[in-house]
Amino acid sequence: MAETDLLIVGAGPVGLYAVYYAGFRGLSVTVVDALEQPGGQMSALYPEKKVYDIAGFPAVRAQDLVDALAEQAAQVKPRYLLGETAQTINDSADAVTVTTSRGTTVTAKAVLITGGIGSFQPRPLPTGGEYENRGLRYFVPRPAELTDADVVIVGGGDSAVDWALALEPLARSVALVHRRARFRAHEHSVRLLRASSTRLYTPHEVHRMSGANRVEQVEIRNVETGTIECLRVDAVVAALGFVANLGPLTTWGLEMRNRHIAVDRTMRTSRPRVYAAGDIAGYAGKVALISVGFGEAALAVNNLAPLVDPSLHREPGHSSDAA
Amino acid sequence: MAYVVTDACVDIMDQSCVEECPVDCIYEGDRMMYIHPDECVDCGKCVPVCPSDAIFWEHKLPAELAHFTAAATEFFEQREDSSG
Repeated sequence: MAETDLLIVGAGPVGLYAVYYAGFRGLSVTVVDALEQPGGQMSALYPEKKVYDIAGFPAVRAQDLVDALAEQAAQVKPRYLLGETAQTINDSADAVTVTTSRGTTVTAKAVLITGGIGSFQPRPLPTGGEYENRGLRYFVPRPAELTDADVVIVGGGDSAVDWALALEPLARSVALVHRRARFRAHEHSVRLLRASSTRLYTPHEVHRMSGANRVEQVEIRNVETGTIECLRVDAVVAALGFVANLGPLTTWGLEMRNRHIAVDRTMRTSRPRVYAAGDIAGYAGKVALISVGFGEAALAVNNLAPLVDPSLHREPGHSSDAA
Repeated sequence: MAYVVTDACVDIMDQSCVEECPVDCIYEGDRMMYIHPDECVDCGKCVPVCPSDAIFWEHKLPAELAHFTAAATEFFEQREDSSG
């Protein structure tokens, strides 16, 4: 028996709107996303950027739009599976079952893929990747965990600099290793960084990591002079940005259109019970915009609603009458 | 749609853009970097990090730099030809 009416894959702006919309149609919703927070590209890549082409908003900060979409979605009490990537899909009686990277299985009457440009993963550290979860980490959700630790942060963007600033008052020592002399983070953050006790190693890169069970030492190399220095560490934080990848979705047997999932005018894919909307959905005349994605989300949910519950019509009626 | 690298990159190739690009669509040529027009997802992350201010959105490309769009297409056609 299906445990959720609709599984939404991807919690970006279009996925969040689809969550609300499916709830408005009376469907129960589960939503899965590879990142630990909703918002997709908007939150991961440009939270501070202003967006000017959302209907009704002359200008809106990307993260503010995400927060509003998440609040709208929260009304319908979705179940969130964050930090999990949808991996495999199997057909079962009158439903499909999706398994995530953490082994969670979700059986749903329909799936809506709002996967944007794919799932985001932290860009892996080229050297020393084998120490992941043994001292090497890619996120710092709780800086207090690194209290009194000797920490090396790798990277030169906002995340690297912000984490250095967050950890500097707590950690025993913080060193920031960046391949260039110039940081890509906001100027104000870089000024705070330079005024802090953080030791800056530029232009340096990680040459080698060593340690018996956990990482204990990081050798860093000056990329101009080739000089190698050795730092003693308890933790290494790699903040090298994100890379997006369609990944497992390409193995779902869906007909593709270039790097997009082919859909018909009801947003249905080539696989029964699977729909797609937003940037990931492709058809003749497609324009990849959030405003288009919102419309596609409503189209998809209304068209799949009768499949989930045969008593539902495709036409939703007016939301203003639903109060 | 895509972003385009222009002449300010020539012989500089700082490559901050490569570290920022979420889809690894920026490639190194002989004298400048090139953005793959089909792989670019239009996020615009590369623009502010370029110390040479060499990157423009295709539709905001100054007229005198318009030929860099074709240069990128040509670069990737040749690359794909030579890789079989």
